[in-house]
Amino acid sequence: MNREAMWAIANKDIRAIRTNIQLWLPMVIVPLVLGLILPTVGVLVVKNLDVSGMSDAEELVNMITSLPVGDLKSHVEGLPTLNHRLVYMLVNYMTAPFFMLIAVMASMIIATNSFVGEKERRTLESLLFAPIDTMSLFLGKVLAAFIPAMVLTLGTVSVYGVVVDALTYSWFGGLVFPTFNWLPLVLWVTPTISLCTILISVLISARVKGFQEAQQLAGVIVLPVVALVIGQATGLMLLQTSVMLIIGAVLLVISLGLLKPIAKLNDRNVLFERQVH
Amino acid sequence: MTIFLEAAQVRKSFKGHEVLRDVSFQVPQGEIVGLLGPNGSGKTTIVRLLNGVIAPDGGQLRVAGHDPVRDGDAIRRISGILTEGAGLYHEQNAVENLQFFAKLYGVKERGRIEELLALFDLTEHQSKPVGTYSTGMKKRLGLAKALLHRPRVLFLDEPTNGLDPEGIRMVMKYIRTLNRQEGTTILLCSHVLHQIEEVCDRYVFLQNGRIIEQGTLPEIEDRYMTEIHLQVETNLQVTGGSYHGHKVERIGEQSLRFTLASKDEISPLLQQVLQDAWVHAAEITNRDLETLYFTVRGRHGDE
Repeated sequence: MNREAMWAIANKDIRAIRTNIQLWLPMVIVPLVLGLILPTVGVLVVKNLDVSGMSDAEELVNMITSLPVGDLKSHVEGLPTLNHRLVYMLVNYMTAPFFMLIAVMASMIIATNSFVGEKERRTLESLLFAPIDTMSLFLGKVLAAFIPAMVLTLGTVSVYGVVVDALTYSWFGGLVFPTFNWLPLVLWVTPTISLCTILISVLISARVKGFQEAQQLAGVIVLPVVALVIGQATGLMLLQTSVMLIIGAVLLVISLGLLKPIAKLNDRNVLFERQVH
Repeated sequence: MTIFLEAAQVRKSFKGHEVLRDVSFQVPQGEIVGLLGPNGSGKTTIVRLLNGVIAPDGGQLRVAGHDPVRDGDAIRRISGILTEGAGLYHEQNAVENLQFFAKLYGVKERGRIEELLALFDLTEHQSKPVGTYSTGMKKRLGLAKALLHRPRVLFLDEPTNGLDPEGIRMVMKYIRTLNRQEGTTILLCSHVLHQIEEVCDRYVFLQNGRIIEQGTLPEIEDRYMTEIHLQVETNLQVTGGSYHGHKVERIGEQSLRFTLASKDEISPLLQQVLQDAWVHAAEITNRDLETLYFTVRGRHGDE
């Protein structure tokens, strides 16, 4: 494996993101909406609204009361008002899927563009004529999607944390975000699900004719699976850390298992004959 | 004579369509060989096969002793290639493009990028995005990219496409210099025959995926030139279509074209003309590459 070439490809692709509006626009808008605007509005509304007669709020209260006996239950029940409890659950549990969605969205957009973008710019030929093994090429493309997706997710989570804590600090008399479970979610489950998404998207990108087609196909194949996992994210946050570690480990094993067959499926000759004309 | 590139009975098909059949040729080390043929004749496929980026359906290929199928990276390390599209990143500037490819090719030589930018007259434009370059500038940068790692073999696919006359002269001069000074073996694909005639040592003619002729220009000339067309700038006045038994036609006020059976007839003819008139120039007009190319293709028809 050629590490220098791998990092050169990753760096080149990461730098190229800012010049392609199809890539950077969703990566600005989605984190802004999901990671900042929606949670901020949610916190402000729930904080100031009379929630006593709302059926959704009751459901949430029921969920809290049905929590297993433990630190979380006693902590939530110890909060002074229903609004406090709802804000606490919103900030620490309900928004968790958003950040996984941001990571997966960024991973998918960049990774689907990886090979097909080179093809559309007529540069794939130059890469395949270079003395680099296809594994280095693939890993370079994987890193080019993984690093920005993780930076974007961690950046959004950090800004989100600052904003929600600023909005709630005086009201709660201390920091409300994050709970411990955010650590394995952001640093373990989200990276592994992103990696899985990237590998499948890179494979698709190496096979299709254009970027739009790659996105559509990735949407059909990746999103249902990802939606299933992300849909359970709130529940995941309520589980023990060890369960999250196991889920992340399973995703990582799947990713590592996918890596070799994907690189093999797209050896230089196959890639060249399919994508260079 | 060491053979550097070799193809023996190579076959290749794409989706059931035969692109190359029984292609065999050799390129001696340090020579410049022109690979000639119309669009779709298989020139680019040969270049791709020799670089191991596609695999043949049959036959043998060798580049510097390496088999492109099994040992492609060894070939790609010593091979430089200029493709028709140049394969550059338009959002990056010239330096960034060359730095990126230098990393892919493991080039550590300090000052190499600056040297190539200066050589191809691009220093002034090195900080502009390549997307703003003219076709000729992109081509020159593509050539700089191909030469970054000082390749032992250079594959040039239409290297002068899109270049202005000055650019063409610069590229052709550099190809010649590179070949003479560093002994680089060069395989040159082109349609513009009069340009490559100045630099090539030998030629391979392709048609419909088959090699229809190959050799040096004098060798091909010997095989295909059945008569000599001698154009003479003279004030000789001729009547009828003949002069001392040689067919002649007027092609200009002071220009005649004689048709001779062999080169041996040239000296006696000119001696005769000089007795009757002045002669300022005489040239065989049907042995240039372009004429021979079309003669060869015509002879082989649609084989």
